[in-house]
Amino acid sequence: MVFITKFARFGAQAARQLRATPLTVVQWRTFHVSCMLEKERRYTNKHEWVELLEANQAIVGISSYAQEALGDVVFAQLPEAGTQLKQDDECGALESVKAASEVYSPVSGKVTEKNAQVEDTPALVNSSCYDKGWLFKVDLQNPDEFNKLMTEEQYKTFLSSNEDH
Amino acid sequence: MSLLRRNSSQLRLLLQGLGASSTKIMRHKSSDNITASHNVGNSINATGTATKTMTTDKKLESTADGDIKKSVFISQSHDIFTNLALEDWLYKNFDFAHHHVLLLWANEPCVVIGRHQNPFTEANVSALMERGITLARRNSGGGAVYHDRGNLNCTFFTPRERYDRKYNLNIVTRALFREWAIKAEINDRDDIVIANKKISGTAAKLGRPNAYHHCTILASANKLHLGESLVKEPANYISRATASVPSPIRNLVDVNRNVNVPQLLSAVGYEYLRTVATALEDGGSAQTMNQRGFQLVNPTEKWFPGIEELRANYCSWNWVIGKTPKFTVEKELELKSNEHGMKLKLNVEVEGGLMTQIGIQLPQSDQLVPVVTPLQGQAYNEHNLNGIIGALKLVSTSNVQQAMNGSI
Repeated sequence: MVFITKFARFGAQAARQLRATPLTVVQWRTFHVSCMLEKERRYTNKHEWVELLEANQAIVGISSYAQEALGDVVFAQLPEAGTQLKQDDECGALESVKAASEVYSPVSGKVTEKNAQVEDTPALVNSSCYDKGWLFKVDLQNPDEFNKLMTEEQYKTFLSSNEDH
Repeated sequence: MSLLRRNSSQLRLLLQGLGASSTKIMRHKSSDNITASHNVGNSINATGTATKTMTTDKKLESTADGDIKKSVFISQSHDIFTNLALEDWLYKNFDFAHHHVLLLWANEPCVVIGRHQNPFTEANVSALMERGITLARRNSGGGAVYHDRGNLNCTFFTPRERYDRKYNLNIVTRALFREWAIKAEINDRDDIVIANKKISGTAAKLGRPNAYHHCTILASANKLHLGESLVKEPANYISRATASVPSPIRNLVDVNRNVNVPQLLSAVGYEYLRTVATALEDGGSAQTMNQRGFQLVNPTEKWFPGIEELRANYCSWNWVIGKTPKFTVEKELELKSNEHGMKLKLNVEVEGGLMTQIGIQLPQSDQLVPVVTPLQGQAYNEHNLNGIIGALKLVSTSNVQQAMNGSI
């Protein structure tokens, strides 16, 4: 009798594991794809990041350092698709603990999409600033601007040389 | 002597202002940046602390305290929209790299909400109108506050790199202690409290190159109006907008009956001038004498070219109501019927301040039935909402049941 219940428990566990398997497969797959597509991420000295998607498409967000400095983001106002931006234009705002911080575009170009998910759940900027917490996508007008931004390595050096900044 | 000083400072400000006509503000701004970095470069060379790898921010941070002058501007206007425009003008056009400014201002009765707030969930908008209390939206974050002439507003302007809320709040608490021996504390939400009741609320705007932190100080505000103004209209609001955190408040006059706004203004102003710009150190009268002192400013187009345009924006419907983040209002209605009442849920979606979709939800159904009304596309307010409710009340239960049967 004891043996049967043990066996049943084992069966239930196995079933649970089986059910869980597809999830891990999906996770593994996205991880894999993101590895394959690993694109270079560049940074500004104001702690925004830009990542190239395709030749002219770029995605913009704020760095982990910036989200930490802001604190809990409670509201995000992002540029609408179609907005024409020049480098360093004010294009939105992130609000955290009573402070509204302006968002500036690190590159020139036309906004193609804003992250509506971040507008609905602003905390994504804190929990996943390089992935789900991106802010907007932009069609680059001047790819040179991207090339002039700091590389990951340079940004790290920049951060360590500006500790109290 | 002090009068003379004040006049010359005013003149300087006036000249600075005249440098930019409203159309040239962009140019003015960029040339400011150039002179700012130029000056910073000079001062760094003088102190000999710069290294090649330092960024502009680093240079700004290491600007010696002696290179920073301080001014206290006192706005001569008591109009909320003019004062918000003045604050915005300084934020957008002034160069604070070597000149920190504290702007002091007070307004006629009004409710001021944060940049990303919903006025309908923060204030009783229709009651405000009836009482002649103005509703305004500021450009900084944070929650809704009530202002009247018994409340003093302080705006601390600095370059973004030297933005420091704790420093500013300490100026206020030190002033209260020096002037009236009032012991106030700064809590973790950056409110100033006395025995757990709030006397001051804080909000901030961070941009480039400038930032400001402003706070209210309740000296002798009308508590009755304050309480009644900050009550939302009765309905269920579903909104992502920044919500205020209501706190019990206290007037300083109830702590010490000698407190009044003019004396508070001078106490905070002097405390600001006598404190070293980069650290909370009291420099005494020697420090005060080295600053630019108190200056009465008149927020007019002549002094601040372009301010009228800013003011026009602040008092426009498009800004005050139109900037409200998208929200939904739900209200339960009881229809008249012969036997038993029937409950409907009215659902109004509001985007950009306008009612974009109006629908009703029937009992035992998740489906939203659109309501055809000429009020669709109109501004959301209590009057228009009641218009819809009034029209729906005429519908009797049997009508609805018929309509439901018809649709099935």
